[in-house]
Amino acid sequence: MAVGLLEAVRRANQPGVPENSIRLRLACLGSVLVAIAACASLQEIALTTAVGAMVLVSVGTAFSHATRTRPPAWVKVMVAVGAIGACVWFFHDVSSPAAGITSVINPLTVLLVTVLVVHSFHVPSRRDLLFTLGASAGLMAVGGALAIDLRFGLYVVAWGCCSLWALTEMWTSASGGGRISTAGLVLALGATSAAAAAVFLVLPAPVVSSRVSFIARAGAGGSVGVPGGLAGDSGAAAQLSRAGSPASRIRVGGYLGFAASLNTALRGNLGNTLVMQVRAQRPSYWVGETFDTWQGQSWSESQPVPRRPLRESSPFILPIPLGDVPFGQSDLQTFYVSSATANLVFHAESANEVWFPSGKLYVAGDGTIVSPLGLGTGSVYTVDSQVSTASPAQLRADDNLLSLAPSTLRQEEQLPHPYPRVQALARSVTAHDTTTYDKVQSLIHWIGAHTHYSENIPPLPAGADTVDEFLFGNRVGFCEQISTSLAVMLRSLGIPAREAVGYVPGSFNPITDLYQVHANDAHAWVQVWFPGYGWQDFDPTAVVPVTPPSPGATALRAVGSALGRIPPVPVAAVVVGAGLVVVFVRWRRARPATWAERVTRSAERAGRRAGRPRRPSETLAEYAGRLDGLGAPEDATWSRLASSVEASAYGGLDPPPGTQRALVLEAKRAKVVRRHGAAPADAPDRPLERV
Amino acid sequence: MVVGVLIVGLWWLVAHNAGSGWVQVLGDLVFGALLIGIAGPFVVATRALVTMRSAPGDGIAGRPVEVRVESRSRVRVRPVDPPGPEAFVGPTGRRGAVDGAITLVPLRRGVHHAVTLEIASAAPFGLQWWTKRLQLPLPAALHVSPRCGSAQPVPLRPDEGTGDVLDRPRSDVGLPRGVRPYVPGDARRLVHWRSTAHAGHVMVRELEQPAGEPVTITVELPEDREAAERVAEGALASVVGLLEGGVPVLLGTREPSGPVLAAVADRRGAGRRLARAVHGPGGATSAEREGAWR
Repeated sequence: MAVGLLEAVRRANQPGVPENSIRLRLACLGSVLVAIAACASLQEIALTTAVGAMVLVSVGTAFSHATRTRPPAWVKVMVAVGAIGACVWFFHDVSSPAAGITSVINPLTVLLVTVLVVHSFHVPSRRDLLFTLGASAGLMAVGGALAIDLRFGLYVVAWGCCSLWALTEMWTSASGGGRISTAGLVLALGATSAAAAAVFLVLPAPVVSSRVSFIARAGAGGSVGVPGGLAGDSGAAAQLSRAGSPASRIRVGGYLGFAASLNTALRGNLGNTLVMQVRAQRPSYWVGETFDTWQGQSWSESQPVPRRPLRESSPFILPIPLGDVPFGQSDLQTFYVSSATANLVFHAESANEVWFPSGKLYVAGDGTIVSPLGLGTGSVYTVDSQVSTASPAQLRADDNLLSLAPSTLRQEEQLPHPYPRVQALARSVTAHDTTTYDKVQSLIHWIGAHTHYSENIPPLPAGADTVDEFLFGNRVGFCEQISTSLAVMLRSLGIPAREAVGYVPGSFNPITDLYQVHANDAHAWVQVWFPGYGWQDFDPTAVVPVTPPSPGATALRAVGSALGRIPPVPVAAVVVGAGLVVVFVRWRRARPATWAERVTRSAERAGRRAGRPRRPSETLAEYAGRLDGLGAPEDATWSRLASSVEASAYGGLDPPPGTQRALVLEAKRAKVVRRHGAAPADAPDRPLERV
Repeated sequence: MVVGVLIVGLWWLVAHNAGSGWVQVLGDLVFGALLIGIAGPFVVATRALVTMRSAPGDGIAGRPVEVRVESRSRVRVRPVDPPGPEAFVGPTGRRGAVDGAITLVPLRRGVHHAVTLEIASAAPFGLQWWTKRLQLPLPAALHVSPRCGSAQPVPLRPDEGTGDVLDRPRSDVGLPRGVRPYVPGDARRLVHWRSTAHAGHVMVRELEQPAGEPVTITVELPEDREAAERVAEGALASVVGLLEGGVPVLLGTREPSGPVLAAVADRRGAGRRLARAVHGPGGATSAEREGAWR
């Protein structure tokens, strides 16, 4: 067995046949260069390193081609030493205890680039070029692991083109010069794309493994002026966040509620700016902060300052929020901040652990996390959250409010003044419900049936109560007003509830597998406290799917939606126009060019109609004789026409133009007339001769 | 193919657990390329239509024989029976020649009515070769004569050594008997130009047949293939030696249809007879000889 293994290794290491195709080498070089450029664009390697590597790989490729028949021995030694050295460096670099997948990616990029550079000097055979192609695919994958937007697709397309070129050149080289036709290339490309698309549609979304640590990077945020304060208003970290006001309703990423208080009298004009992208195992509300004190028109926190600073190194282990119950399952989210936003650390439900690029974090009693850094473009942090998995049946069975501390219970049931009408309404809606969960659901259904969502409403006048105005006015409002009404109705029934603000999951990008959160995804909803399961999210205005979306289904929906937006009439006009152009061009190409060809075409058409098609081996004169033979004995029209055509074609005796026209006309009018007793049209001719 | 499946599986495992959509998309592309690279050649090789275009009728064991085949798609062709080196056949471009030459190197004598070819393709990506066996009938049977071995000593005739017969006359020399119209196979030097000019078509001299008594060589091939090959090689050498010496030869062999005893005129004829010969006693009886002469 050992001998067999040695023999297999020896065979595998035998030098291959020298590869002479320059085009194949160029295609492989293109793949490598694109892969290095892709990694450089994601800052996985420095730009100077990338440029140097590109130059060296190009030089190495030229050197390999020049020495392909007799590669110098010292090159083999150099390649071996270089590869071993790069591997030793890589394992030494990633063997630190804190190494996770993201801390491996950059060294892996450097390792692959180094191997590609060193290997490029010793690529004598086709097999070595295939290795180069595979390594470039690996480098692209390492780059793709950190890519979070669709711009990476440009590199993927470029790399795919180079790789496809290399693969077809590989066949050309392997087959001694056989070239794939354009149709074959299109077919291969289409089949490859179709296979890739089929796999893409079938495979589930990638999951984020919980056994690795995640990336945390400070972006262009700067320091926050007030320790523990909420900042980031208008994108400036030094400027404290202000509650929304009618005078300044427009903010890029800063929601009006990401401040010390939430003014429910007006809704900000948030725009469609991409605020952040989230990689998560499942969709969820991205909670920013919660409010427990209702003041008639705005929400505030009962304990706004000071927040407790956590002085640890990343990852930060967060304390369990007051009154919360650790129940559910762990869920990882990585937040990639795209636009300057408030310095809130978002998370799903309650956060357990945070990887963050700072030495401390501020945590409020309700679990709100505040960063000491402004969250500008490029900031990245990861949160391990606790997500509830309580089912409706479990929540129905969990109705004992006594386990919440009396002070907390009082705060979560606090109302600024009695709401007799609201209480009466809530009681009438929930008259038949016995559990908290059923009461909440009944109120949500009532709100859904009797109110309307709209952002285009004027701000409430100062001093007006939002809930009274909404429930007993025209019942038109936006999410802050609707959720506040639900919270107040619940509190009027003695059920602990609070207002939560943050973002809905956003649209799922099936290519990057990231949830894209835009400024107008900012949202407010209600959290209701259940003794056995802690704070549970309830939303009367939006629905968040409970399972992660399938990339394939999402992509198909997006394609369907895009197709549905295509106007049918112009597209149909373009398709019909293109079809007409194709038909016209084919007709132009197929039509006879000379009078002789027209006469010949007429003879063949007439013969076909008479059931006597022209045989491949038949000359025109023979065919004309056969056609004449079908009619009267003295009729020799076709033979006469054929002799004129042959005299023109082979003897250069062209008749005058007038005669040509007359001949064409005569051929068009002439018919094949079978005399009585002639062989029927369907009588078998003699067997065709293949020429 | 196994390596390809392993690569895709490993890639998907990494992509799925890395949580990155782009890695999975790239993996999908790699999967697509590998799938087409593996399955494409299967389709091409299965659909490849290779036809025989031309082939010679004679060959010699151990010597290359070139046949021309035609294929609409570029394929690698390796002759299996008779064996030969691999070659590529099919158009190299859109307007490339569809036919190409492949070389057969038959190892032993025999008659081939068809050749077995191994057709292979790795189109369109050159990643995986798929092969299929194909038997192509030859336009005419290919007679592979044995190699020319060592001639065996021919027994002396009773009158040899007495000085009465100094040399045997060549079979194509003799006394002119007259002229006759040319028939294919006649030697060029027998053309009688004066009669040709007179008659208007080619006339050749007709010679008296040599009066010498033919030598009968009976070939009995053993059952063992290698031993039979050696015997055939020796017989061919003997026949060729006798023919070159001008001695008419009667060759007795056993063919699949039965024993045959017939005259051979040249090396090619002898080679064809020996190519057809099978194990068993040759046709040396007087009755067979009579029949052969008829």
